[in-house]
Amino acid sequence: MARKCPEYIENLSDYLDGGIDPELCAEIEAHLGECNNCRIMVDTLRQTVTLCREGKPETLPASLEKKLTGLLRERWRQKFGK
Amino acid sequence: MDEKQLVAKAQAGDFEAFAKLIEANKQKVYAFVRRLTANTEDAEDILQDSFLKAIDKIDQFRGEASFGTWLSSIALNEARVLYARKKQFDLKPIEDYLPGAGSHGDDQQDSIRLFDWQDPQSQLESDELRRTVNGAVDKLPYKYREVFVLRYIEELSVKEVARLTKQTVASTKSRILRAPLALRDMLSSTFEERYGKKVS
Ligand SMILES: [Zn+2]
Repeated sequence: MARKCPEYIENLSDYLDGGIDPELCAEIEAHLGECNNCRIMVDTLRQTVTLCREGKPETLPASLEKKLTGLLRERWRQKFGK
Repeated sequence: MDEKQLVAKAQAGDFEAFAKLIEANKQKVYAFVRRLTANTEDAEDILQDSFLKAIDKIDQFRGEASFGTWLSSIALNEARVLYARKKQFDLKPIEDYLPGAGSHGDDQQDSIRLFDWQDPQSQLESDELRRTVNGAVDKLPYKYREVFVLRYIEELSVKEVARLTKQTVASTKSRILRAPLALRDMLSSTFEERYGKKVS
């Protein structure tokens, strides 16, 4: 085996982005074909990212929204005097 | 009026222009901060302090990035200050997440226990899986959640994440990877609890 798993793992995130040189990419793909462990790492990373991106972003709480403008205006007045 | 004009007006002291810039960006910055802090209370404090700080520093904004990005970078700094004061635990080194780590030399048995994403996905509604994964991200120690959010939710390059978090590229990469590895650990025990058996 050319490399140990930890060394491959360091490159897995780059591999998912497609940002590595073709030679290393081929080497990683060959390794993924025979190493269950690294394959699961890639799947985990990919799926975690997908699921997190799919989630709805949290919305600004109404209570904060309500007081925000007043707070900003007050600080603005302190700074610019108007 | 475009962003550049609003910024110029705000820098000249026009509050209404500044308010418009905030209005256009507050939701996005809040969503970012909420992900970063994983709790509403901290997110509200940080958002408020960041916008106040933006007023103090408005003259320093040069327009190299968008106003929203500038606000987000102020918010990131506020979050880093807050979490630097809080106690943080470290995740295990990458090697410890590999099968065989901490075992009694029985690799076979460990690999059987490895969490397989295909299984829970077929067992759970995808909504529930999404909630579980997001909840697990929220449980990560701040310094890992931070790089994960910047890299994969905000979609910044590793180099940019390293710059913003004042880390070397190598240690940034290691933090980015340990997040999903720890998630796999966490999720695996969640599913074990639920189904009363090891996930294989
Ligand atoms: Zn491997």
